[in-house]
Amino acid sequence: MARDEFQRELDALRDEVVRLGEVVSTRLRKSITALDSHDVSVAARIADADSEINERYLDLEQDCIDLFALQQPVAGDLRFVAASFKILTDLERIADLAANLAAYVVGAEDEVFPDLGLTDLATTAVGMLDDALAAYEDGDPTRCSAIADRDDDLDGRCERVAQQVIRYLVDRDPDADELELLLTEVTRVLLTIRDIERIGDHAVNIAARTLYMAENDDALIY
Amino acid sequence: MNNQIGDTDTETDTNVSTDSGTDSGLGATAGVETSTTTTAGESEEQVRDEWTDYRFDGPSKLTVENLDVWYGDDHALKDVSMEIPEKSVTALIGPSGCGKSTYLRCLNRMNDRIKAARIDGSVELDGMEIYDPNTNLVELRKRIGMVFQSPNPFPKSIRDNISYGPRKHGEINKGLLARLFGNDDSEKEAELVERSLRQAALWDEVQDRLDDNALGLSGGQQQRLCIARCLAVDPEVILMDEPASALDPIATSKIEDLVTELAKDYTVVIVTHNMQQAARISDQTAVFLTGGELVEYDDTDKIFENPESQRVEDYITGKFG
Repeated sequence: MARDEFQRELDALRDEVVRLGEVVSTRLRKSITALDSHDVSVAARIADADSEINERYLDLEQDCIDLFALQQPVAGDLRFVAASFKILTDLERIADLAANLAAYVVGAEDEVFPDLGLTDLATTAVGMLDDALAAYEDGDPTRCSAIADRDDDLDGRCERVAQQVIRYLVDRDPDADELELLLTEVTRVLLTIRDIERIGDHAVNIAARTLYMAENDDALIY
Repeated sequence: MNNQIGDTDTETDTNVSTDSGTDSGLGATAGVETSTTTTAGESEEQVRDEWTDYRFDGPSKLTVENLDVWYGDDHALKDVSMEIPEKSVTALIGPSGCGKSTYLRCLNRMNDRIKAARIDGSVELDGMEIYDPNTNLVELRKRIGMVFQSPNPFPKSIRDNISYGPRKHGEINKGLLARLFGNDDSEKEAELVERSLRQAALWDEVQDRLDDNALGLSGGQQQRLCIARCLAVDPEVILMDEPASALDPIATSKIEDLVTELAKDYTVVIVTHNMQQAARISDQTAVFLTGGELVEYDDTDKIFENPESQRVEDYITGKFG
């Protein structure tokens, strides 16, 4: 096969993107564990450790730019590099959101809402991320639509939980002091829900770019 | 203008070997059975008609139907059918020996000059069959001009290079008789020379030395002079056979800009080995592969982003060829 070095660089890029994805996924799982156990010290470490991922992200983005400039990929190779370039951004954003989730745990005062099932929501989101990464690694278009379908389900669940929180606030009819505390907690919970929902969106983006990469099909790219 | 015969490469090296069995693992894509590859690393694949059935808006300038070319026993071009849209750039790409230059030369009957060549099929220019026995070849090649790989100006002045063609075609009268009869066209010639050189983006560089010998120009300037010379006889189609392959990057980009500009008024068909060049300057791209087959013909972005043929994908991504 001709262009061996180029092919090696493409394979290396795929491996590196997948590895970054695994690091991000692990980070996210740790955030979920901290969320579940209210482990403030673990959460604080995750919340502060984002710069390493950012550096890796910038390195890999530069690798994509180098491939565009120096190898001028076309056809399937072009779609692979273009998709990887976009997927890297989604991974970096997910890492930011994982840090956010950890930071909310650090900031939590009390357990006002014990049983909202936030960790279940987050576990669904991280499962979508893992599946999207596996589809990308294998160049498998068949799993991509299912990830988008799961996101519709996740969005619905997030909305219902958010409504549950608002309803609790309204029904509670708190006095001034309690209202102060509740507003802080409600905000924290709503942000947590929003960020989990966004992680799902980024997982769908990864699936959408993978479908484009494999089939030149932009059906999932909004 | 028919004065630039120098390229008699007959492109006969067909590398096809069906029994090589050197499967490189390429080309195993859905719906296409590819179990073997040729010695060139090309996978076996049946060409589908829809891959070359290019649809476009607007009129077609050249219509090629079932064109076959043999050089002796060698079947150099196999049953090529293709419509070329007016006022656009059509790139022909493919590995050496794929028949793309042969095809280009069929479009203004340059292959007539190669004795061993036998041509079968139809090429119509605006609906007129150019292989009709009554076709006036001088007139045909005036309408379909050609520019070659290495610039080949006449060893004459810059001015004479431009006015030679129109003078031969009787469009410019100069000299003793014309002066005696009072129809000296010197002014017309000056206009034509300036217009042609401007169109070829060369005027600013040579306007002060029109009487200098053209061979004193740089390679890139000589090539633009050849394009100006081609334009001077007012062609409708310009065929270019790797016009920038002998030029440096600056000269190449000037030719590329020029091609884009020319496509506003002319139909340009260009053979190039430089795939990035084809991608940069052409509106549609035809891919010829080993064995003289037209494998895929479509919008250039389609070819370079999502070709239908696995062999085309393998070729343009550099996996063989």
